Amino acid sequence: MNCAECRENLVACVEGLLDREESLQCQAHLETCAACRAEYTAITRLQRQLVARGQATAEVSLVEPVMRQVHREQFKPERETIMSKLLKHRWGLGLGATATAAVIILIAFLSTPKIQAAAAEVMTKGAQAVARLASIHLHGQVRSAPAENFGDVNSTEDFTSIELWKQFEPELKWRIEKPGRVAAMDGQSTLLLVKPMNLAMKISHPASSAFDTGWLQKIADLSNTITNELNNALAKGWKLSLTEERGTDGRTKSVVTVEAKAGLPDNDYLKNKSFDTSDTRRVYRFDSQNGLLEAVQVYLAGKSGETLIFELNQIDYNQSIDPSVFQFELPANVNWYKEELPKLADNDKYANMTAQESARALFEACGREDWVEAGKFFPMPVPTLFRQYLGGLQLISVGEPFNSKGAGPSDVFVPYELKLKDGSVKQMNLHLRKDTQSGRWFYCGGI
Amino acid sequence: MDLTDKEYVERCRDGHQEDFRVLVDRYQKPLFAYLAGRLRDGRQVEEAAQESFVRAFLSLKKLRKPESFYSWLLGIAGRVAKEQLRSLKHRQQDCEVTESIMANAADSQEENYPLEEAIAALPETYRQVILLRYYEGLSCQEIATRLALPLGTVTKTLSRAYALLRQELAARESAEPTVNQTELP
Repeated sequence: MNCAECRENLVACVEGLLDREESLQCQAHLETCAACRAEYTAITRLQRQLVARGQATAEVSLVEPVMRQVHREQFKPERETIMSKLLKHRWGLGLGATATAAVIILIAFLSTPKIQAAAAEVMTKGAQAVARLASIHLHGQVRSAPAENFGDVNSTEDFTSIELWKQFEPELKWRIEKPGRVAAMDGQSTLLLVKPMNLAMKISHPASSAFDTGWLQKIADLSNTITNELNNALAKGWKLSLTEERGTDGRTKSVVTVEAKAGLPDNDYLKNKSFDTSDTRRVYRFDSQNGLLEAVQVYLAGKSGETLIFELNQIDYNQSIDPSVFQFELPANVNWYKEELPKLADNDKYANMTAQESARALFEACGREDWVEAGKFFPMPVPTLFRQYLGGLQLISVGEPFNSKGAGPSDVFVPYELKLKDGSVKQMNLHLRKDTQSGRWFYCGGI
Repeated sequence: MDLTDKEYVERCRDGHQEDFRVLVDRYQKPLFAYLAGRLRDGRQVEEAAQESFVRAFLSLKKLRKPESFYSWLLGIAGRVAKEQLRSLKHRQQDCEVTESIMANAADSQEENYPLEEAIAALPETYRQVILLRYYEGLSCQEIATRLALPLGTVTKTLSRAYALLRQELAARESAEPTVNQTELP
């Protein structure tokens, strides 16, 4: 490969799009040509900056708050629209009509901006009751393993508890905890601890949401939640319904139901594996008189029917939260998750491996209990739990890697089958990600 | 196929205000990154980003070059950020924390936001591919599918976009930021 060919293929090379032969030719040219190597370095440096920007803004979601403000501005002079009158009138019809049964008063696909604004006005009425919240404490349960990612859902798992403490005033602080995983933001920095793996990760700034907690943080943002749901329903054609029913306490409850679609094909590997990749039916229950949200249920809409995957059954408003809640002690021997993998002395050997080769090398190292070698595929020291579990395994097969629309562009899943020391056979998909700096594939999940 | 910024701006002006949603979706992440380079507090950044979009929406009719929407938006965001910092300084004149935030913001101006300005200066074809690849997290293959382009065209466009970005960043190294000073909302 000459300089012109190398330059033409450089981006494809950096992106891992060349076949093995072309990639080796490109690498060989780079080793001998300082000018092309400088070009390669410049591109990867710029790429690192861009990747960091993308990662730092991954959870930014301004569309709904901005559009809500835009609607407010747009309809400022119009205090009451035809639709708002209609909604108010029909809303009233449900009151006292039936003692226990829910009365469906409106199921509609709303389509015009005027109707959106009117419906938002009606639905945010309850949220306004808590617009000046100082703090909130949510108690719920989610179908997910106790130490799994906060965003994970698994309809075959038992429920595990999940809590969120959020202080809005005088300074934003929060903590989210499952039995095996805790994350907190104390106003200075944001910290995660995965207890069984003794693994910690720190973000050096106070993040309003991090570590895949966005879905629960959004529910806690009560003054925006319902209008966000409404605007999403309108923008994406989701079905939305408003009903009224009499609660066990004898008071009238307003129930808002949204049928949300993740936008992933049914055969996508990550479909229905996390809140963000699932088709769900979300039910919000308000006390009609004081406007306060009382409960939330989220159902996974699977092919064989619905499964309740999340339930918020207690909400404490404006309770004083002790500052110590937003901090937690790390174990003395905690392992730190590295955001970027260091370059190894023999880095090229690993950077040139395909995802499939990396998966094979990782498992073979585990089989030999060579934890130094296995550690080259992990963003942290290989956790003791993994050593106990994977040590001495026999690799049966490694399949063809595949992608998911629900994962990032540098992520792949590698099917594997192995026999553990206890004789059990395990078939799963290893989740690997390509590190931009070192070019190596590293473990992200699936063990 | 997605419309261009110019087409969406024109549709919004023609009464399809709901189409502004697409422009917010397209630029919310780079705008957030740009403001994060000026304001370190996450809530301030979020507020400033929302305020910038709303001001842009309310001033769309004054935008003379609809194809320069993003560059114009950054200009608005720059002014919103300055107002926020000024207001913070007024509120907490003697507070060390404020001084620290101001100092951080001043430091970060040197190193952080030229990248977003350089992206804004790219012709739309190149900017679109950079935004899809890094802020939307799409792979080159997914970008090719989304834009109905051959994969090779996507990698060539990326290659050219990198070259233009590097030129732009180099040119800005010794210059003051000049985002769209001429077109005020």
